[in-house]
Amino acid sequence: MAIRANPHLIDELEKYGAQDVVKCYHCGNCSATCPFSGEVFVFPRKSMRYLQLGLSSRLQGNLEPWLCYYCGECSEECPRGAEPGETMMSMRRWLTARYDFTGISGLFYRSAKAELLAIALVAILTGLGLTLFGLAQGNINVYDGPGAFLPAENIHIFDWIMAGVLVVLLGINCVRMWWYTVGSDKEVRIPPGDYLKQFFLVPWHFFTQRRYSQCDRKQPWAVHLVLMLSYLTMLILIMFFLHRVQHGPDIDWKVHAFGYVAAVGLVGTTIFALAGRVRKTWTHYKHSHETDWIFLVLLLVVSLTGIAQHVLHRGGWEVAANIVYIAHMMGVVPMLVLEVPFSKWSHMAYRPLAMYFSTLREKVLLAEEKTEPRPQSAAQTA
Amino acid sequence: MNQECRIGVYICNCGTNIAKVIDAEGVRNKVADLPGVACARTYEYMCSNPGQEMITRDIHEHGLDRVVVAACSPRMHEPTFRKALESAGLNPFMLEIANIREQCSWVHDDRAKATAKAADLTHAAIRRVARHVPLEKQEAPYTPVTMVLGGGIAGLTVAVELADAGQKVHLIERESRLGGNLGRVDLTAPYLDSARDLLAEKVVLAETNPRIDVRLRSTLTDLMGFVGNFTATVTHQDGSDTEIPVGSVVVCTGYREFDASRIERLGYGRHPDVITSFELEQRLRSGKMETADGRVPNYVSIVHCVGSRNAKYHTYCSRVCCMTALKYGHEIKSALPRAMVTDLYVDMLSFGKGGEDLYRRTSELKTMFLMFEKEDYPVVRAAEADDDCGLLVQVHERLSGETIDVPADLVVLMVGMQARSDSDQVARTVGISQDAEGWFIESHPKLAPVSTPTEGVFIAGCCQSPKDIPDTVAQARASVAMVLGFIAQGKVEVDARFAQVDGDLCSGCRVCNELCPYTAISYDPDEGRSEVQSALCKACGTCVAACPSGAITARHFTDEQILEQIEGVLAWSTSQP
Repeated sequence: MAIRANPHLIDELEKYGAQDVVKCYHCGNCSATCPFSGEVFVFPRKSMRYLQLGLSSRLQGNLEPWLCYYCGECSEECPRGAEPGETMMSMRRWLTARYDFTGISGLFYRSAKAELLAIALVAILTGLGLTLFGLAQGNINVYDGPGAFLPAENIHIFDWIMAGVLVVLLGINCVRMWWYTVGSDKEVRIPPGDYLKQFFLVPWHFFTQRRYSQCDRKQPWAVHLVLMLSYLTMLILIMFFLHRVQHGPDIDWKVHAFGYVAAVGLVGTTIFALAGRVRKTWTHYKHSHETDWIFLVLLLVVSLTGIAQHVLHRGGWEVAANIVYIAHMMGVVPMLVLEVPFSKWSHMAYRPLAMYFSTLREKVLLAEEKTEPRPQSAAQTA
Repeated sequence: MNQECRIGVYICNCGTNIAKVIDAEGVRNKVADLPGVACARTYEYMCSNPGQEMITRDIHEHGLDRVVVAACSPRMHEPTFRKALESAGLNPFMLEIANIREQCSWVHDDRAKATAKAADLTHAAIRRVARHVPLEKQEAPYTPVTMVLGGGIAGLTVAVELADAGQKVHLIERESRLGGNLGRVDLTAPYLDSARDLLAEKVVLAETNPRIDVRLRSTLTDLMGFVGNFTATVTHQDGSDTEIPVGSVVVCTGYREFDASRIERLGYGRHPDVITSFELEQRLRSGKMETADGRVPNYVSIVHCVGSRNAKYHTYCSRVCCMTALKYGHEIKSALPRAMVTDLYVDMLSFGKGGEDLYRRTSELKTMFLMFEKEDYPVVRAAEADDDCGLLVQVHERLSGETIDVPADLVVLMVGMQARSDSDQVARTVGISQDAEGWFIESHPKLAPVSTPTEGVFIAGCCQSPKDIPDTVAQARASVAMVLGFIAQGKVEVDARFAQVDGDLCSGCRVCNELCPYTAISYDPDEGRSEVQSALCKACGTCVAACPSGAITARHFTDEQILEQIEGVLAWSTSQP
């Protein structure tokens, strides 16, 4: 069955940050350089080809962009300046939009204005809602305990409701990802037993980012791991220990020690990434999509306001702490509501899933090859 | 054996080329005592200056009158050793080469047998050279008038350059206008200059220069004589003939395009929106870029190598199509800014100056490049009613391994070049040969690219093989240099080796007249016998072998010389079991 070429696909991907894809003439240097490019998943060259030919259906079912961590070596080795690394990055954005059933993701990626507007809207609604709620039942002079302006137990319920909604949204998109990349493929059938046997890969890759550590360059992995673990620590503290985190003015070291380390990690790595993007120190920092900036700035704002309310509360400035708390929530809510299911945050689910799915596919394909050698096509050998 | 001969025999080691298989010293010992051999020597490189000096010294010291060199092929160094003989005062034809490299050391590995064979070959040369007679070279005057066949860019260049050098030119063009195939082109690659501008200047110069006699709707129908002394018969449209004396003929007859309808799956002739590159040029020139039913095309698909690089049609590359297709990328985009161009190629051969840059610029216009296997042309079919295009081009794309349907409203076939259908007629008239594909053959692909085995007949441009405008013009100007060389000399040297008819023995049967591949033999009805025009004769020996009366002798290839050579080669083998 022939696939229809879509000459407009490149134009579409350019809105997601792809540049200079047309310059690629398929020498394969990028695939030769990449430590992850192997027998079954040959990239980035093959993905570059799918894009050049406008094979939307192939690209949609392609796991390879998620197997790339953008160390940037391919872009440096490219004799044509075709930026394979950045192209893979833009494909991840495009895939995120494809997985998203609401269409919001695509809208955000294609238009920074739309995303900023949405963030502003959610931030204002959050701010307004929390202010009204606080005024209705609490006292602006009280940060925690009885009569608190924003009592931890109420915020906790709100957090859990929000988490539930986000998990459902992201879950639906994950199922769509499974369908596009594995489920709908009639040629590569994955035995149900394998799904169970290999499922450990999802938490394994989520927590260790083992694959990222196998890039030739270790620094980006280290930075990313610190950022991710810091965020995760903060998330656990807030989701399960919110009451103890908010409680003051004394310092509950058993909880707060973790919080301090995580805060340093978050602020440090976010500033490192922002400075890197401003100064374009590394290849993977050279090209920044609007969504990269929005994500980092939001993260920094959330981290700094989080730290500020903690300090203000310990310093006895309860009114200021409450105001900063609202500001903090005006950053947290849009960041989670918009970024987790629809933008950059979603990769925390898609990446480990891609490792899991690709391992499943690889196992089937390699087993097939052993029993009957498949005719090597140009795409497979490149 | 002629006992009065004083023959010098020189056996070359050619470094290790000969020495590694043949014992040169053994050969020397074997032939040194043969009758007539005055001295025999071996040397590392006989063609080197010391090697040649050894021969000339021996000629003086030993009073040699003949020389045998056992070395490489005579095609390699016969002229070298002839010069050595001449410098020592011997007639250059008193030399014989025994080829013990290409015909012995390079093709054998048994040292004893190879050495014996080398000795046999050297013996044969010794026996033959004893029968050599001095031959004298001849001279003829050169008529400083040139005939150019074909008024394309090659012929125009030759004519204008020669006229600028003050020489008289007859420019013969079969069609009713000058310009040739280039006249059908819009812009040229890679700089997108106008072909019309390029050509118009040359056409005006040719038409206005009093030294150029332009004859349109005319063909060369006969060419008699030899270099410097040809008589060309030009036939005009009205059937009248003109006989023109010329010194040289430059053949610039060009090419014709491949007939795309031969490749059925491409749909040419079946779908009105499948057109050839020349038809696209026409549309680009007229500014009417639309489909057969008058729509503006959204998708234009270009298919490369139509008729080229394919075992079934032509195996060669037509050299200009890739660059032309890249050029179309630009031209289509400037005519139809919203159109998507797809480019289906086998290998992208954007060679030479500006080529790679054009490729880059075209790819930056987001031309989609798809690679197909050369024996597996894409298939063009009508699109479905709900498609946003008129045609679909199905291609097995090599760089992705996928089978892809490419949308198209217009499909442009890059038709390759092939020899003109009348090229065999031209070849026969001017006495040159063609390769299997019909292209005219040059004397040497690298060292004599515009000369032909017929002296005074040159080839330039695409009649020799497909080439682009710069290469065509370079060849045209190269042939001008060759012609001006003759004119500067004012005379031509005629080879001393040619066939001679013994008038007393010739019965006038005229068998030889038709057989001669160089049309060098004519029949004299008054005398009732055939005559060889020595300047035209290449001493191939066909007529000698064919003559039923044994009336023809080839100078330097007499029966006696050949028989002696055979005797020599067999002399020792008869004594072996």
